[in-house]
Amino acid sequence: MVNIGLIGLGRIGKIHFHSSMRLKNARLVAVADTSKTARHFAKAQGIKKVYDDYAKLLEDSNIDCVVIALPTFLHSKCAIMAAECKKHILLEKPLARNVREGKKIVSKVQKAGVKTMVGYPLRFSEFAKIKKEVDNGQLGDVVNAYGINIWQGPFLTISENSIPLPVRDWWFNPELTGGGALIDLGCHMINLLIWYFGDEIVSVKSMLGHRFNMPFEDHALCFIKFKQGISAIVNVGWYCLQNTIKIELFGTAKTISMAIGGPAKTSSRILYTLGIKPRPASSAFYNELDYFIKCVMNDLKPSPSAADALRDLEIISLAYKNQIQHT
Amino acid sequence: MSFVSLVKADICSDFKKAIGRSFDLIGFHFPPNLQRIVVKPNMCCYSDYSTGITTDPKIIAELIDFLRENISSDVQISIVESDASAVKFKYSSKILGYEKMSKEKNVKLVNLTEDSNEEVKVRVANHSYTFLLPSTIKDADLFINLPKMKYMEGPPEISCALKNIYGCNPYPNKFKYHPYLDEVIVGLNKIMKPDLCLVDGVIVRGKYTKKLGLIMASSDPEAIDSAAARIMGLNPKKIDHIVLAEKEGVGNMNFNVVGESLQFFAKQFPKRSARDKIRSTVIKIGLSTLRRLGLNIP
Repeated sequence: MVNIGLIGLGRIGKIHFHSSMRLKNARLVAVADTSKTARHFAKAQGIKKVYDDYAKLLEDSNIDCVVIALPTFLHSKCAIMAAECKKHILLEKPLARNVREGKKIVSKVQKAGVKTMVGYPLRFSEFAKIKKEVDNGQLGDVVNAYGINIWQGPFLTISENSIPLPVRDWWFNPELTGGGALIDLGCHMINLLIWYFGDEIVSVKSMLGHRFNMPFEDHALCFIKFKQGISAIVNVGWYCLQNTIKIELFGTAKTISMAIGGPAKTSSRILYTLGIKPRPASSAFYNELDYFIKCVMNDLKPSPSAADALRDLEIISLAYKNQIQHT
Repeated sequence: MSFVSLVKADICSDFKKAIGRSFDLIGFHFPPNLQRIVVKPNMCCYSDYSTGITTDPKIIAELIDFLRENISSDVQISIVESDASAVKFKYSSKILGYEKMSKEKNVKLVNLTEDSNEEVKVRVANHSYTFLLPSTIKDADLFINLPKMKYMEGPPEISCALKNIYGCNPYPNKFKYHPYLDEVIVGLNKIMKPDLCLVDGVIVRGKYTKKLGLIMASSDPEAIDSAAARIMGLNPKKIDHIVLAEKEGVGNMNFNVVGESLQFFAKQFPKRSARDKIRSTVIKIGLSTLRRLGLNIP
């Protein structure tokens, strides 16, 4: 049995919380969060060790691995401390705010010899089927690829009964997030495309959009040319009330178009609200955590690793650098 | 009986002209010696006007031009909104385009949560409430309510003029009022009664977002809400906060339409189907039951 510590009980942290409670081969033994409400929630759910400081959780020798679901600006410090405490790590995406911080994390976790995986739940969703088809050569040569991730983002998210959910202040500060929609959503799609086609990339460009009048992009197009000749467009945005997460691949033998998200049926929404049925996104998060725990138990190298996520950050960094200016 | 004017306003049209016509139709005349005008749009979330959820700052900009042309170029105009549980004014004013518009038009943006205020007691349905009355609204010579018309998952079932005044409550953690929302909306309307309501129905959020091209005006928030409810396919006599507002003397549920016909807009409004209404009722009953059982449901 693997003992898990969860650091951060915000929106994504709560999804990991519920996923970890469903695992058969692991148990959630401790939670750390600075919020009193979050700690109260964890206690009410039967977690005995609840801390206001993650350093205390990391000192607990009974804990084998940690799930870090903190705001991006806290990733580096927390992941490095967890590696020093010899905890295996599932770190939420993006790896860090920038390449420099990302490199520090990769170096520390490799030196400490702990298993580190970065949370890209789309890799554990329906999109995993596409990987098999690409690898089997069913598409022939892929010529063009689209990765689309457009949704409400952190600002427009509403509850089941249409009440806007609070947005934490750090989301409004690109110094703390590392950027806007491109780093937040683009990393998902770039990671998927690299998983499908490999990480040899010859050029990266972007067009950033600022509909929100804020000092970060709320939508972006990222153009990637893979060494094997594939031209890819990553299209991300935080502006739409409807969620669209989509992959489209155009090959010489076959075309694939797969989307997840979109409005759920009323019956499903009621079951989600009451917690009777897990949301589709929750299933991907569950599969992700289950896989990570199996890697810990069976001494396997998890994927996507911190080094994989660093490559995603490098591409995003290039995209920010190589902006196509509007004329 | 109150007058409600309905005016066609195409998305590309001259809003100022439509605004002027909507005021003329209800026979509204500006009182003399106006110095301070307060406008309350709907800035309740970070979704901009194109979604039909928040007031279009372009309409406010045209209203400002209209006011300056018809009252005085020196009149002081303030655009007001408060912080809410999920939405902070300092961000919504940027994201929704109000900061840019206020600079261009040289008007003040006032976060009512940071405004000076005084406590005011009010009774609604035999319950006592104490609210904070912001000085900017208290000192206004003319208070214009500029809401959107849209469905809510209820209660209340719709959001329009009466509900928009909820955003004038400076207290930021409004979440706490949700169990008594109807009474709180009516209570706030009793202490902050607008002189004029102008509904931005140019883009609306019904079952889906649609360009409806409607500007409505009335000096009675209850009458304009009743007209909006009719356009949205609902009976105002079955909407709790409108019924309560009537009982508490906030306004008049009966109204006379002037201008375009109500049916013209009612036909085009993206109404909910009977199935949607059943779903909404089930959610309403389910949520109130869960709340009664002590579950913390927002």
